[in-house]
Amino acid sequence: MNESGNGPGNRPRGEAAGVDGSVAVAACAVTKTYANGVRAVRGVDLEVPPGEIRAVVGENGAGKSTLMKMFYGLEQPTSGEIIVGGRSRTLRGPASAIALGVGMVHQNLMLVPSFTVAQNVVLGVEPGRRGLVDARAAVETTARLAAESGLAVDPKARVDEVSVGMRQRTEILKALHRKARVLILDEPTAVLTPQETEDLFAAVRRLRDGGMTVLFISHKLREVREISDKVSVMRAGSLVGTVATADATERSLAAMMVGRDLSLDVGRTPARPTEVTLRVRDLAYEAATGQSLSEIAFDVAAGEVVGVAGIEGNGQSELAEILAGLRRPTVGSIRVGGTDTAGLDVAGHRRAGIGYVPEDRLHNGAALDESIADNLVVDRHDRPPLARRGVLHPRAVRAHAERLIDEYAIRTPDPSVPVRSLSGGNMQKVIVARELSAGPRLLIASQVTRGVDIGAMRFMYERLVAARDAGAAVLLISADLTELLALSDRLLVLKDGRLVGRFDDTAALTEKHVGLYMLGVEHHDREQLVAGLDDAGEAPAA
Amino acid sequence: MTTAPTTRVEREDRREYRATRRRDLAVDLSMTLATILAALAIGFLVMLLTGNDPVQAYEAMLTGPLDRSFRVGRWLEDATTLTLLGLSVAIPFRARQISLGAESQVYAGALAAATVAIFLPLPPVAAVVVPMVAAATAGAGMGFVPGAMKARLGANEIVATLMLNAIVVRVYDYLVNGPLKEPGSSAVHSKSIQQDSVLTPLTEWFGIPLGRANVGLFLMLLTAVALWLLITRTPLGYRIRMTGSNPDFAEYGGIRVPRAIEWSFVIGGAVAGLAGAHLVQGVYGRLEPGLAGSLAFEGIVVALLARNNPLVVVVAGLFYSYLRAGGDIMEQQTDVGTEIVVVIQAVIVLLVTAQALPDLLKRRIARRQRRQPIQGDAR
Amino acid sequence: MSAVLDVVLSSAFLAAVLRIATPYLLAAFGGLVAERAGISNIALEGQMLAAACMGALVAGYSGSVALGALCGVALAVLLGLLLAALRLELGADAIIAGIGLNLLASGGTAYAVYTLLDDKGGTSGLKSGSLPTVTLPGVESIPLVGDVLSGQNMITWLAFLAAPLVAWLFYRTRFGFHLRAVGETPDAAESVGIPVRRVQYTGLALSGALAGAAGVFLSMGYVSFFVRDMTAGRGFIALAAVFLGGLRPWGVFLAALGFGAAEALAVQLGTLDVPPQLVSTIPYAMTLVALALYAWRRKRRGLAGGVAASL
Repeated sequence: MNESGNGPGNRPRGEAAGVDGSVAVAACAVTKTYANGVRAVRGVDLEVPPGEIRAVVGENGAGKSTLMKMFYGLEQPTSGEIIVGGRSRTLRGPASAIALGVGMVHQNLMLVPSFTVAQNVVLGVEPGRRGLVDARAAVETTARLAAESGLAVDPKARVDEVSVGMRQRTEILKALHRKARVLILDEPTAVLTPQETEDLFAAVRRLRDGGMTVLFISHKLREVREISDKVSVMRAGSLVGTVATADATERSLAAMMVGRDLSLDVGRTPARPTEVTLRVRDLAYEAATGQSLSEIAFDVAAGEVVGVAGIEGNGQSELAEILAGLRRPTVGSIRVGGTDTAGLDVAGHRRAGIGYVPEDRLHNGAALDESIADNLVVDRHDRPPLARRGVLHPRAVRAHAERLIDEYAIRTPDPSVPVRSLSGGNMQKVIVARELSAGPRLLIASQVTRGVDIGAMRFMYERLVAARDAGAAVLLISADLTELLALSDRLLVLKDGRLVGRFDDTAALTEKHVGLYMLGVEHHDREQLVAGLDDAGEAPAA
Repeated sequence: MTTAPTTRVEREDRREYRATRRRDLAVDLSMTLATILAALAIGFLVMLLTGNDPVQAYEAMLTGPLDRSFRVGRWLEDATTLTLLGLSVAIPFRARQISLGAESQVYAGALAAATVAIFLPLPPVAAVVVPMVAAATAGAGMGFVPGAMKARLGANEIVATLMLNAIVVRVYDYLVNGPLKEPGSSAVHSKSIQQDSVLTPLTEWFGIPLGRANVGLFLMLLTAVALWLLITRTPLGYRIRMTGSNPDFAEYGGIRVPRAIEWSFVIGGAVAGLAGAHLVQGVYGRLEPGLAGSLAFEGIVVALLARNNPLVVVVAGLFYSYLRAGGDIMEQQTDVGTEIVVVIQAVIVLLVTAQALPDLLKRRIARRQRRQPIQGDAR
Repeated sequence: MSAVLDVVLSSAFLAAVLRIATPYLLAAFGGLVAERAGISNIALEGQMLAAACMGALVAGYSGSVALGALCGVALAVLLGLLLAALRLELGADAIIAGIGLNLLASGGTAYAVYTLLDDKGGTSGLKSGSLPTVTLPGVESIPLVGDVLSGQNMITWLAFLAAPLVAWLFYRTRFGFHLRAVGETPDAAESVGIPVRRVQYTGLALSGALAGAAGVFLSMGYVSFFVRDMTAGRGFIALAAVFLGGLRPWGVFLAALGFGAAEALAVQLGTLDVPPQLVSTIPYAMTLVALALYAWRRKRRGLAGGVAASL
């Protein structure tokens, strides 16, 4: 793996250390290793001069967020130095970063919903004397800052009643009010409308012209091209390189972002797909929060693995939860086998033969304080052989657990061990064991190998392929392209809640090619996306 | 890039696991014991500081209840009600529902049992059973209201149960003072229940005076075992446990979480209703003002101390009632007020809820023990 | 019916409403401050009881009513700080810790009274005196209003002043801003450098002080003795008023006043052959219905996000 991270546009290290104000913020050989051994950032050298808009791009897990958190004092580097205002600093928390003039706008905004915009802007440093808050001064300050920066807000409106865009502008004003000289924007456009994005960019440019240094984290290459002066690309924790935006194309950036040297080879035979098991037509989902879906249509046949690629947050979670019955689609038809599942509850989905490995096992994949044995039976605790005539037999539950522990090589001394005490990989095995042992007709596997060790990863791959060969339809959702390409017989790409790519042959497919679709550089047209799908005629119209 | 090898070591050795489990259990047990001892020590200090003789007081309190057979009876009779009320909140607690509604449920149960047992002529066995069924039903109904409000609407169950308590206690008070008051009596209470509805006193069984203790004791033990079986051996119990442990997981697994929550309230309510029946049919033989006293809230304490395990609730209930009974005897024999028992109980609750304490201790012990084998392995 | 109206419109009744509402108002504001600081204070009941007992005892033994009231309030403040410490330092569940504190107050006060006075019922054997009444010059002569206001206890005045004071604290002062921010979104508060814990401790101390004032009123307002468990569930009702009032100072004010009025009505109607117990259930039934309606509306608006999310 590429450890040093010295890319084409990256200046050598000595220059970063010997600064005298020509650098607003810099990282010097910064490495971050988490307590669980995950190395999120590896020896990164990055320096940003004052008055520059620097985009930092990279795939999920490339380490951008961790790096930014170190600049803002939310994380401390394991080794290396963080330089702010020309000197090496130890940032113990956001407070010390704020004091040094670093402001950060988080993806999940840190605002008090019942407060007004002005109150949020001044929170913690309220104007006024003798313990009182001068409300008028707060409004005036906010209005003045808004006028100066071009970030239009209504100072007197309650935050929970204004648009997401205005909330974000409020966050930026908050940083400005604290005299930030460096502003970190973490995926600021993810929640904005195109017009709001335009306005934000105009404001950011104005700030830059006033001397502000802006670090702009994003996946959206088009926006990066539009807003930034330079782009730094991260991959697998390392800095791949920094290029002047003028010299970069979306394609060249995508090439730098995607793909890793380590190839993944899973021994699998060609798929022998038979009849269609999952049939999704005209699916749309109106999300109150999160990503909405529209015009989703695809098939998954028994005996094939269909991968779903996409930058995280483009609708994968929503799609998986709809298919598993945890969310109700707004419109559209979903048929699994012969069953129309769109109106069923979760238990109904499970009865229809759907297994689901959820993306966040700690959230809903397991009851952490309960035993392995209990965690393995949540979908079958009320029927034979475990339960008969309203009685659940603990001995049967235990025997069931021992069989699966054996079969799925779950490393544990006893079935009564609480799941919480297992490692990530082992915990995932418990979940996979439960879902696969139900003999699902359709298996939805979401981020199956996230945070698991290499051994468990291999194991998951083998099991997925085995399930496919046994006749299951497998829908594999992952943020890891390498994994998707290694396992998928066919591949779909989701972007902004729509299917934008469909590859029926993955043999010659490269990560870079798929990356172009994920990043919105290219897309397939509708004919290609729906080619060969029987029309929705047989779905009941009413 | 999604992963890096994790450094965690899996504990694969079954023997070591068993040892760990034994150790955790030992820590839990000794923590419970230490909690009780600490509370008793604080009681000791309080008595000392208030100019009483704590040794004499504790002697009376801790040996008193076993002194005479009728005192044993007093203890068992109290323990029966208290344990039933502890069980009644342990079930919703298992679903992680903070139900404080035992008070409304026990009074509803008492009212139902008394109404049937006073006014409805029934053949011998039915005369005992039907009022109890009525009490359980009434209690379950009282449980259903906050349960459904929580499960279907997401209404805060603490406020709902407190309001229901306030309402039912007042209605009860009205009925005992009004429509159900024994005509012509100067004291406020209802007519006595029919003789056939009385739960047989234990005195008749064992031939020694056991006060008002009655066969309700065995009913309580049966209920505890039944609830333990419900929790550990039935699909519904499993659903209640999973709902309490991680509702998102339960929902993901196909469990209807709102139904599980509702059932936990209904079952708890039925058990509290039975406690009301015990008070009417076993203890007082009629309705009296405020007949449940502070037992409903102390049931919460009992359930907490027992970590909501039905079988342990019995032990905790017997222990608490023992303290209560001992406190009364202590007050008779010394100058120390029985209220010191409530203080001791309160200290126990506060220590039990301070969750960081045992975890802190467990972690420290684990760290010390882990260090040792590593040194041994170094050879 | 006209008899009822006569009662309701009499100055004696209105004066009784003010008197009876006093502990509800103070305790409810105490609950409000704690709730807005992000820690539910179910120990209001115990704080009131402890303050009532402490106040009567200290006043009785020292002969100083003021000292008694002060000690009572101080004890309630200590209990508030204890609740905060249990929650923040030892990871205790605030509800369960609150139940424990209530037990502690109930047992502790009864024990203290019995030990000191050898009396199971209360401190009626002790001359403890009561807090002074306040009469504004000139008000006396105003018809009706004069009768209602004259001779009201100083704590009643304080209770009614508490509404604007709490509103002022919440919406005008820096501390109030921080308190609300901490209770609503601790992460956001922390991210701008507000000392979250310190604010919560202060909030719980203030909450205790208000509950303490309510307690002191019970034993030193219209009567001059402490009676065992004399709070009789008022703390819980006050907590309900906090929720019924929508966690806003004036809403809580109205809810607590409503509870006081209903109780006063129940007392008055007792003389008219209407069962007072049934009348006094009305506010609780209303709270229950309001709770259900509020939850239903919130669910309809889809903010709850499924049952699992609201657990």
